[in-house]
Amino acid sequence: MLSLQHISKYYQVSGLKNYVLNDLSLEVDEGEFISIMGPSGSGKSTLLNVIGMLDDPSDGYHYFAGHAVHQLKEKQRSALYKQYIGFVFQAYHLIDELTVYENIETPLIYQDFKSSERKAMVADILDKFNIVGKKDLFPAQLSGGQQQLVGIARALIAKPKMLLADEPTGNLNSKQGEEIMELFRKLNREDKVTIIQVTHSEKNAEYGTRIINLLDGKIASSKKL
Amino acid sequence: MIKNYFKIALRNLWKHKAFSIINITGLSIGITACFFIFMYVGFELSYDNMHTKADRIYRLVTDIKTPTETINTGVTAWPFAPNIKTDFPEVEAFVRVSGGSFLVKKGNVKFQEEHSVFADSTFFKVFDFKLLKGDPKTALSEIATIVFSESAAKKYFGNTDPIGQTVLLTGDAIPAKVTGIMKDIPENSQIKADMIISMVSLTQKFNKDLDKSWGNFGASSYLLLKPGANAKNLEKQFPAFLERRNGDEERKQHMSYTLFLEPMKSVYLHSKRNGQESGSINNVYIFTIVAVFILLIACINFVNLTTARSVERAKEVGIRKVVGAEKGQLASQFIGESVVLCLIAFVLTIILSVLFLPLFNQLAGKTISAGIFSNWYYVVILLATSVAIGFIAGIYPALVLSSFKPISVLKGRFASTNKGNVLRKTLVIAQFTISIFLIIGTIIVYTQMSFMQNKDLGFTKDQMLILDTNGDPASNAFKEAITSIPGVKSTALSSSVPGGGNPGAYSEIENKKGDLQIANLDLYFVDWDYVNQFKIKMVAGRAFSREFGTDTAQAMLLNESAVKLFGYSSPQQAIGRRFKQWGREGKIVGVMKDFHFRSLQEVIKPLSMRIELKNINLVSAKISSQNTSATIAAIESKWKTFIPNRPFSYYFLDEFFDRQYRAEQRFGKLFLNFAVLAIFISCLGLLGLASYSTLQRTREIGIRKVLGASVPGIVNMLSKDFIILVIISFFIASPLAYLFMHGWLKDFAYRIDISWWIFAIAGILASIIALGTISFQAIRAAMSNPVKSLRSE
Repeated sequence: MLSLQHISKYYQVSGLKNYVLNDLSLEVDEGEFISIMGPSGSGKSTLLNVIGMLDDPSDGYHYFAGHAVHQLKEKQRSALYKQYIGFVFQAYHLIDELTVYENIETPLIYQDFKSSERKAMVADILDKFNIVGKKDLFPAQLSGGQQQLVGIARALIAKPKMLLADEPTGNLNSKQGEEIMELFRKLNREDKVTIIQVTHSEKNAEYGTRIINLLDGKIASSKKL
Repeated sequence: MIKNYFKIALRNLWKHKAFSIINITGLSIGITACFFIFMYVGFELSYDNMHTKADRIYRLVTDIKTPTETINTGVTAWPFAPNIKTDFPEVEAFVRVSGGSFLVKKGNVKFQEEHSVFADSTFFKVFDFKLLKGDPKTALSEIATIVFSESAAKKYFGNTDPIGQTVLLTGDAIPAKVTGIMKDIPENSQIKADMIISMVSLTQKFNKDLDKSWGNFGASSYLLLKPGANAKNLEKQFPAFLERRNGDEERKQHMSYTLFLEPMKSVYLHSKRNGQESGSINNVYIFTIVAVFILLIACINFVNLTTARSVERAKEVGIRKVVGAEKGQLASQFIGESVVLCLIAFVLTIILSVLFLPLFNQLAGKTISAGIFSNWYYVVILLATSVAIGFIAGIYPALVLSSFKPISVLKGRFASTNKGNVLRKTLVIAQFTISIFLIIGTIIVYTQMSFMQNKDLGFTKDQMLILDTNGDPASNAFKEAITSIPGVKSTALSSSVPGGGNPGAYSEIENKKGDLQIANLDLYFVDWDYVNQFKIKMVAGRAFSREFGTDTAQAMLLNESAVKLFGYSSPQQAIGRRFKQWGREGKIVGVMKDFHFRSLQEVIKPLSMRIELKNINLVSAKISSQNTSATIAAIESKWKTFIPNRPFSYYFLDEFFDRQYRAEQRFGKLFLNFAVLAIFISCLGLLGLASYSTLQRTREIGIRKVLGASVPGIVNMLSKDFIILVIISFFIASPLAYLFMHGWLKDFAYRIDISWWIFAIAGILASIIALGTISFQAIRAAMSNPVKSLRSE
């Protein structure tokens, strides 16, 4: 489903190339649940952003769902992204001025769903995540775990094929984190959502089907569970 | 999608109330001020547009060349227009209008009609003034027929039909028949009249010589050209016409006339000639610029505050992009928000306009608009302007916000870019440049006003009561009678007082070489007491005196300017020289020190004075400052005894003289008001910017305080950046203001120097205002507990 070949990402600092990703290649099949680990500065988040098309690599080839992403124009890339990818952040990143309901609805608005369809889809996911009662609250009125649930609901509302999560449990206590991980596993197993998560926690990493260790912008090890 | 945008726009505005209030207030005040100015400008530009034939109507004006000077008049002699109509087939019709003031009596009701005119019978044919009753073709064709305006007619006839009724003009003397009632002449007409008397009453009854007097100027003449006729070509044929009709006479009088045609529509704003009411195209330009400035300042606020807030909106932009928003969608969201904000401002603008329109009409000195709802398109224009501003001012912030890269704004702290700061600073400088420019302008206008009001004019005008007897034969007896009233210190008779009109006379005065030199001299008819009454100083010879019997027939006073005109190096040399003027011959007996008998906008012209009691109509009385009302009451009772036919009215000379500066005072007041507005809006913006910049630096302030910075130190640090901007603005605004106001002052023959302290005051004022605005925020930030600000990070 995803193929990265010889991907590099570097910054020029006083003439020297400072590599964040260094000639990295990665194949991801549909239905995988990958945990990316590694020390700070090893390029985990950058790799995730490149996969999510939020960041452009400096070099290399990037294929996604049969498209050569590195050849696509901004607009086509955006369309591809909208259709296939959902993003979850460590800091939840909900829009403070919108209610839970409206936050979850937002992606649908950008994908031109009709109002009645949106209503049905949001109602469905609220129900599935057990947050119907919270739908008219604003993010500031929720606990961290609840906010992350809303964040995941938002990421999944448009039924993406792939979910990218950047330390989704980093701001949560261990119990909340466990719940989120259970949810990920369920999504992966029952809904066949491909998941790539960045994490610091060994325990959380083990929810995945494959663990990749990064070091200095390169894959140091990869092991299937 | 629109609903979502709208919702988030309103929630955002509500959440950031202070920001919204600043932005909306600034915008509405700006739009309102701008709207008022454009109504004013529109009104000034609309003068005389009501005539459907306005494009074909021309005012005929004359340059009169005397041996000493050329006078650019706005009038003609009476025979010019009729003869031009006879000689030139391209002239379809002519109207002559000449103003006057008449005492009108109907039964017991009497009024002095100040806006009376004589007009030819073609008046209603050439102009589009609407006759409500009567026949427009014949209403003014017979001797002693008059047309009243609707409101004037009401004074005399109440609700009865005035047509065919008779009123008495000039007291009891002349009965005149009412043949028409016209709609009140609108305010944006240069020709104003409440009473129109048929021109034939003047030319065939009151003064039968007028139609043959080629040298008697006093009629405003309008020509209606046939469609397609070329005014320039017609103008070229006037010299030959004058030569044919009046050439010999002109040479005999040592005069030379040149005729010009001024398009009717441009007379009010563009003509520098006197005559009817006139406006100033310069003021129209100045206020248009001021309006654009104010709107610009308001828009700059908007752009500045919105981009300054981009830090807060950045996260939202990032999230929206991550969940699939495209740049265009985000840009339209932000433009939409700014349009929503402008629509709220629009509602406030309507409220402000309704509230302040009466005040503005008062400031402008005329009814610019009866109400903003009286013209539906005003509201439409306002709405369109608001939406347009929303779009235009929204574009830049929208582009900035929508182009944020999601990963950089979502990853931890996002610092606003330096580029945005430079732009914001530039815009603040632009705002303060405009504000300081307006402050300097206001100070200069007011200094000049006060200079004119306080300058020693060379005569006294305090406690001077002027009564107009309209040349009543009992004037002299009345004057003698009031002299004995205890509160009256002295009295005099004259044809003119400073600040009012006076005749100009064809004169021959012996010059230094001993020849009789021809000149057009301003002329006052006075009595023996006049010079003393007004404390006019004599620099040579003597004032008129009852001891010299010849003074009433053979004596003349000149002023210093006149003496210089005839080549004398000292006033003494002029004493005893001969003069011939308007049928009188005699000697110069005295020279007066120059006094300002006209406004300070004009240089003092050569002036002559003669005693001629049959030509006087004004009684001036210097009265004591105590018991003024009792004195005036006593004067009134004498008036009723001596001049019972006329209504009693009087004015004070100082007020009368200052009336000449009404236009300038109004200009000054308008300028002041808009300068205050400009400053206010700029400060609103500064307040907003200052609060955001301190917000952004909360953490820095906290750290500095922990490290031991003092409160004044931090206030200083936060204020410094803005004060530098104000100082830069000052250096840009000062030379511009100097150049501009120098040009404005050129219209005044006597004017102030633009001195350094004016700029100093403006600079200090702007700095203080700016500092006051900022320091409120700065002090609050500096006083806050660092533990709090650091913990929240």
